[in-house]
This record gives sequence, C-alpha cells and structure tokens, in this order.
Amino acid sequence: MHGLCYFFQSFLTYFQAFMTTTLLEKEKQTTHFSFTGRGSEYFAIEIVNLLLTVFTLGLYYPWAKAKSMQYLYRKTELAGTPFVFHGTGKEMFIGFIKGVGAFILLYAVLMYGVISEDLSTLLITYAVFILGFLALIPVALHGMMRYRTSRTSWRGIHLGYRGELSDMYSTYLIGFFLTILTFGIYGSWFVVKLRKQMIDNVRFGNASLRYVGDGGDLFLIHLKGYFLSIFTLGIYLFWYTKNLLHFYVNNIVVLQEDGSYSRLQCDVSGWDVLKLTVGNILIVVFTLGLGIPLTTTRTMSLIMNNTVMRGDFDADALVQTEEAYDSATYESMTDMMDIGVI
Amino acid sequence: MTFEGKYYNGQSSKGMPAHIALLPDGLRIDYCADEACGSVHWELAGIHQSEFNDATTLLRFGKFPQQSISVVDKGFKEALQQQYRGAAFLKSGYNSVLNLGFSGIALMALGLLGLLVAFVIWGVPALADRVAMHFPQSYERTLGEQLYTKMLQGYQVNEEKTAALNDYLHALDTDLDYPITAAVVSSEEVNAFAIPGGYVVVYEGILDKMEHHEELAALMGHELAHIQNRHSLRAMARSLSYYMLASVLFGDVSGVAAVLVDNASALRNLEYSRSLELEADREGLELLRRNELNQQGIVLLMERLHMGSEYEMLAFVSTHPNTGDRIKVLNELIGERNQPYKKNPELQRHWEKLTR
Repeated sequence: MHGLCYFFQSFLTYFQAFMTTTLLEKEKQTTHFSFTGRGSEYFAIEIVNLLLTVFTLGLYYPWAKAKSMQYLYRKTELAGTPFVFHGTGKEMFIGFIKGVGAFILLYAVLMYGVISEDLSTLLITYAVFILGFLALIPVALHGMMRYRTSRTSWRGIHLGYRGELSDMYSTYLIGFFLTILTFGIYGSWFVVKLRKQMIDNVRFGNASLRYVGDGGDLFLIHLKGYFLSIFTLGIYLFWYTKNLLHFYVNNIVVLQEDGSYSRLQCDVSGWDVLKLTVGNILIVVFTLGLGIPLTTTRTMSLIMNNTVMRGDFDADALVQTEEAYDSATYESMTDMMDIGVI
Repeated sequence: MTFEGKYYNGQSSKGMPAHIALLPDGLRIDYCADEACGSVHWELAGIHQSEFNDATTLLRFGKFPQQSISVVDKGFKEALQQQYRGAAFLKSGYNSVLNLGFSGIALMALGLLGLLVAFVIWGVPALADRVAMHFPQSYERTLGEQLYTKMLQGYQVNEEKTAALNDYLHALDTDLDYPITAAVVSSEEVNAFAIPGGYVVVYEGILDKMEHHEELAALMGHELAHIQNRHSLRAMARSLSYYMLASVLFGDVSGVAAVLVDNASALRNLEYSRSLELEADREGLELLRRNELNQQGIVLLMERLHMGSEYEMLAFVSTHPNTGDRIKVLNELIGERNQPYKKNPELQRHWEKLTR
C-alpha cells in the first residue's frame, strides 16, 4: 500500500510540475478567498451565545456553536460568494453527546480501576482507557470530516467526504506506532499521511482535493523552527508558524473534472503572524478574555484575505454530486460524532 | 418590484442572472443562462432562515439540494422586510441583537461581565455553602476523625486533662447535633481549634492563661459553634470551589486533588472569615446563658488573650478578628440581655482537675 502511495505521490508531483509549466504559458488565474466578518458583529453573537449557554447551564452550547459556525461560514467568501454552514444545533448536540458519552465511558472504566484498589484490575482498566482513547481519535476525525464537509456548501454545491473509516484506522495506527518507534521523528510523515487521508477524500461537487505536502519538508520546517526559535529566543516562532501555515494550506490542490487544477496559496508573512499574535494576546488580556471573538475574526481576516486559489479554477463548472446528507447513510454511530474542538 | 441577482439551481455552481419579483405568496425567479431560460416560484414557507446578511442577501429554498439566490442590493433586504414582515425566514434573534448597534452590544458585554463577577463573588460561595451544608454528617464525622487522629500524632496528649475536659463538656448543656470528642495537648501555645464532625483540640497554654471555668465554657462554646455550623467545612468548600473554577478556566484538573490535600493538612490555619468568628463568639455567649453561667466569662477570655504576650497570642489571634472589636460586640450583647448567674459546682470540680 505504501508503494502505491509513493507512486501516486510522485505521479502527482510530476503532474503538478507539468501543470505549472502549462499554466505559466497561459495567464495564471487567481480566485480570491475573503473574510467579510466584523469583530463587533461576531462579538455580539458570541455574547448572546455565552449568555444563553450560562443560563441553560451549558445545554445551549451546541446551538451556540452552530450559530457561530454559520456566521463564520457566511462571512467567508470564495470568488465573491459566501460559504453556507448547514449544521444545526440539534445535530451538533447529538454529535456532542456521542463524543462526550464515549469519553465519560472511558473515564468510568478508569475510575472503576482506581476505586478497585487492585493493581491488576487497575492495569487492565488503564490499558482499556489508553486503547479506547487511541481507538476513538480516528472515529472522531472521520466523523468530523464527514459531518463538516456534508454540511458545507458554496453556490449550492455541497462538499463531501469519501474516506473509509478502516483506511483512517490503518493510517492512524500505523503512523502512531511508527512515530513511537522512531521517537517522534516519523511524526512529520504521520501528520502528512493523516492530512492526505483527510483531504484527498474531500469532494467539492465534481471537483476533488489533493494534499501534496511531503513529510520530509514538514520535518525540515520543524527542525529549522525548533533550532532557530531557540537561537532567536522565540522570535522565530512567528516565522515557524507562518511556515507551518504555508505548508498546510499551500499544498492543497483542487482538481476539476476536465483535468484543470488550481492550488491554494497563502501569502501571510511571519511579520503578519507576529502582529496578529501580539494583538490577539493584548486583546485577550485587556478584555479579561471577553474579546476572544475579536481574535477569531482577526485571525480569519488575516488568513482568508491573504489566501487565493491560483490556477484554472472554474467557479461555474462545479456540479452537485453529494447525496442528501439527511438520508439514512448518515445515521450510523460514527457519523456526526463531533467532539467540537475545532 | 423586481430585483436583479444570481440564481443557483442546486445542481450547478453556475450563477444564472435572474430577475426576482416579490409576490404576496412568495418569490418568483426568472433566470436566463446560455439561452436556456426558466422560472421558479418559491413559497414563503420553504425559504430557509436567512441571517447575517450584509450588502449581499442570500436566500435558500427547499430540500436538498437547495436552490439559492444572491442579491447585491441593499434595497432588496429592505423590500423583503416590508413585504414579508414577520415571515419565519426573516426572523432571527441574533439579527435583532446585531441591530442594537455599538452601545447596545457594549451594554450586553458589560452586563455579562457584571454577571460573571457576581457569580464569582456571590454565586460560587453560596453554592459551596449549600454543598457543605448538605454534606452527610456520617461522612463529615469520618473525615473529622481521620484529621483528628492525624493532628494528634504531632502532639503529646495529656490523658488526665483530656478526661477532665471531656467530663466538663458532658456536664455542659451544649445542644449539639454532634457527639463531642476533645483532647488537651501539651503545648505552650495559646490555641484551640475545632475539627469538623465534633472534635476539639485544646492546648495547655490556653488553659494556663485562664482563671475561671466560665472562660473555658466560653471557649468551648466558641469552638463548638464552629462545629455545629460547619464553619471549616464551609470554608474548605469555598476555597475548593474557587480552585475548581480556576482549574476549569485554566484546564488544570490535577490541581483539585492537590487542594484537597493542602486543605486537610492546613486546616488549623484556615482563615475563618470575621463573620464566622463573630457568629462563634455569639454562640459561645449563648452557651454561657443556657448554662446560667457568668456571661462575663467570654469577655474575660477575650481580655486574657488580648493581654497575653504578642508572640504567644499570635496563633489564636492571627486567624481571628480584632479582639477589641470582639469585646465591644460581646459587651453590647450582654448589655441587651443580662441575666442572673449561678455557681455550678460540677463544672467547677472538672475545671479544678484541668488546672491542676
């Protein structure tokens, strides 16, 4: 399977290089992302959310989450058209209950081991806890991808996720153990494999996404980031962050059915990251945390307004390919399990 | 009235130029693209809630795959509001908040801040208090017993005086929900403290200072009030609740366990609030009254402690309010309800064993 992956990857790199040259001959077309949300608006929404969440002793949280997602999506535009988030509080509530329920179950097992005061029982329950935790992460990632993509649309065209849970499991478990065996060095390749698993299975109508990043590049970014951050007493951290952002975003390619392709390009600079971070910290400190929504819109603005899609993206050529997401295929246990961290 | 916009049919991302007419029962959309023209009618009931619109108004209609229109014209939004006032798809609590403008939003934020502060200042202690008051007595007693045993390990217990003190307490009419176990420990320190669940530790140093048994009765009344009113449990619950709040906010759960341990070992150093101390003083006085003892006993106790050398007193006084104030309050209380007092030979007998 690895060989196949590698073959596919090098094919893609070749394909890319080829496409770049042809694209250079033509005029490169740029499609802009933008974020039109305003801090004051998002702040007001989050204040209402917070109040309702407090008054309902937290029960409103999924609805609050849905509402802020709806706002952020509505204010994120591609080629001048906003995205739409179709998720509802009820769905997120169910997803949240599933996620939280699984965690509570695992903690209950662990607590049972602790209370039993028997060493072998404790070890067994601890093992169950750790393994259960490990087993839960791929399910959560898979569920999140399926949920988030199916509930996102642009110009009426829905995104979708075609990944199999079993593939997510094998990618995750192999990567996890290789990372442990190599004392973390494999981590960079693992992250890239995971991103490939997640992004390569995303459909955007009849277009599809590819992640073309290379683990070796990520490893070098980490290596460079680690040492330069130490030498510069942390100042390089902002450029390190910028490099990671570029690595994650700029390696996403959108392939359309006619073979044309375009690539995301994020032009945020290290200096931008520095200004954003320092500003955000000041906002959070001086508003006692109430200003967190402002930091979200600031971050979204910086990233979205500096990201474009370069290449042959034909905004009019997307065709609906997804099934209705409220059909029975979306009723299984793993779907909609959204821990809601992101 | 018609507006120009783009129509998306839910099958393709191609935006088709469209004319949108606002009819009484819905929208009529006439679109034309690549010489293929058509018309759709949207019933009002099928239009999805439309929130957070700006210069562009986005409307979606029907089941999956939804059709949508996008109109870049501020007049369209206003026309919708006029034509379909009160329609479900235009209703949004969030939009009405957004329309409050800067001052309204700022007011809400301040209100929230106030609410948070109020919750931290009053809500958390009140909740902690309720929890402490509902803590089962049997658990409290088990917890107290463990603490009591642990604390006595560091001291030499004077068995003879301990027996005398317990006899003294038995002879007192205390009206307590807890069985009382007391111990006298050999220490020069002028101190005494109560442990939840009905345990009292008295230092020899404080007994040596006293001249009348009424002072001891007053001291016991004070300490027993701490037990009866669960003062230390409430103080513990309160500080624990703050630590829990902090660990929820900062995401540190292990801190909770550390606090539990800290509180247990540092129980005697707990800072009772002034009101709790004054409450205990009042109940100490009440004990003297109930036993028809000289009410001046509690004032004498305070004065005695007040006159002692600064260093010795430190332990007892540091966690307590200003002694002068306490004496003043107590004298006022005595003045309000003075009553005749009797000698109590039984208490006197136990007291003599204690000071031997």
